[in-house]
Amino acid sequence: MPSPVRLTLPVVAVFASVTAAAQDPRIDRVPAESRAAVVALIDSARGAGLPVEPLMQRALEGTTKHASGERIVAAVRHLAGDLGRARDALGAPASPAELNAGAMALRAGASSETLAELRRARRDALIVPLAVLTDLMASGVPADSAAAAVLALAATTRDADLVAFRQAVERDIALGAAPGPAAAAAASSFSAAPQASGAHGQQGAQPRKP
Amino acid sequence: MTGGTRARAAALALGSSLLGGPGYAQTSGTIGVGVSTVHYDGFLPSAALSVAPGVDWERPSGGVSARGTYLRFETGHESVQGAVTARLATAPVVTGRRAELAVSTGASHYLDFTAFWHAVARARLELLDLEHGAWIGVTAGTTSHGGVPRPVSALTAGAWWRSPGLTLRLSGNGSRIGDTTYTDLQSSVHADQGSVALDAAVGARLSNGASGSEAYGEASAAISLGERTALVVGGGRYPTDPVSGSLAASYLTIALGFRLGTPRRVVYRAPAPQSPSVEPSGVRLEVHPEPSGSVRLVVDAPEATRVELAGDFTDWEPVPLVRVGRTWEASLQIAPGVHRANVRIDGGVWIVPVGVTRSIDDYGSEVGIFAVP
Repeated sequence: MPSPVRLTLPVVAVFASVTAAAQDPRIDRVPAESRAAVVALIDSARGAGLPVEPLMQRALEGTTKHASGERIVAAVRHLAGDLGRARDALGAPASPAELNAGAMALRAGASSETLAELRRARRDALIVPLAVLTDLMASGVPADSAAAAVLALAATTRDADLVAFRQAVERDIALGAAPGPAAAAAASSFSAAPQASGAHGQQGAQPRKP
Repeated sequence: MTGGTRARAAALALGSSLLGGPGYAQTSGTIGVGVSTVHYDGFLPSAALSVAPGVDWERPSGGVSARGTYLRFETGHESVQGAVTARLATAPVVTGRRAELAVSTGASHYLDFTAFWHAVARARLELLDLEHGAWIGVTAGTTSHGGVPRPVSALTAGAWWRSPGLTLRLSGNGSRIGDTTYTDLQSSVHADQGSVALDAAVGARLSNGASGSEAYGEASAAISLGERTALVVGGGRYPTDPVSGSLAASYLTIALGFRLGTPRRVVYRAPAPQSPSVEPSGVRLEVHPEPSGSVRLVVDAPEATRVELAGDFTDWEPVPLVRVGRTWEASLQIAPGVHRANVRIDGGVWIVPVGVTRSIDDYGSEVGIFAVP
């Protein structure tokens, strides 16, 4: 027969976790028919050590876009899965912002292996490399070429230069280059010319009107 | 006569796609099938059916492309044209100089009496910046009409400027083919607005020949019908190309273009896939991190009377932007990271503005993605 302590602890834990999400006043905006499921998913994610703010935001996004409750729950569940995969790839120390960026990269087509390699290659925060990786794939660069380009730069290239790198790829594509070779060419150029980093960094950090 | 190349060009103006293959080489293929009405100089107008395949293989250091056009006219006469171009480039640069050498050979055939072939080499030096650039180049080679070769030489110079979704080119070139010399001055613009890509060009040819000087211009729109299919409509007038044997003509064309083997993407830089929430509004969003730590969001929508923005940094509550001249702005505290947002104009649907990455949003629509470093 289980002891009273063994019974009490799970009950307390469940009660505490349920109230954590349920007490967030923003949850009241979510359609009533999906609220309980969203709260459960958020609390489950919290229990697994995943960031929960992106999940809340995904639910609120669906609410603002008048999505059905069923669709909102599916979206939150899908994102929770992506965050879990991102955490597995990037490791437990990954920040919530990194996990969110990693989830977007995975959704765009990056592999878990790429995220893991990126973590090994770069000590700094991975938010911008992951965003650039996502942008490259969005521009039509094949996932493996995008990964190779970002990995080639990740270890030594500053965030601002990575943004400039992405701008260079976008420019070459706009001028008619195929996306894959354009990414490879720009990566090669940045690898070969680290002295250019200052100039590019300034431009990347401060986008200006054309 | 081997005209109709603009009908082919319009059909091919569909962007590149993948046949697959890992690494840095990229192979793309397109095929366009269309109908045109063409009025060649010296001929009566005629309808024509066109089939235009194209294949490109590119690497960072160069590539090879092959283009073909088959035309069948009302009379049953046929025209066939093809060309292969190979390019070699110096080490790529982000900004600075880049040199390129290209060789091109091609041939065309119409009935039994008009056949061209050409072989030319082109050297080009480019000065590149991220948003503008310029080039100079020389071309030399030979072209033949009916077995009589004529030397080809040309000097060209130009400049380009681009912003997200818009590329503008200005160019001039002086050409000498045999004893004919002429100068072309041309400007062109390419714009991606939502699922529509627009191309337009105007130019003038100053010639020493009997044809004198003439102006020309063309415009086309490629409307995405899906990830691999586009409807292309175009028209205008183009000048004779004495190198390839293309005869000056006016034309209207409508074509379906197909990309081959494009992998499915759920995020897009531009243009957008079909979506009920996306309209070719031309609304642009710029994200400016401020030294103070806040982020200034600028929406370029001069015709709007109300602009709102919602994102994961506003709890998806619509935030009204304030008009500042022709733009609408808001300064918000946005944490570093990758963020999602949409813009709403005059209370309409939530759209993804130009300037951010598009992604399918789980809700049957699309969302914009941008990063704050």
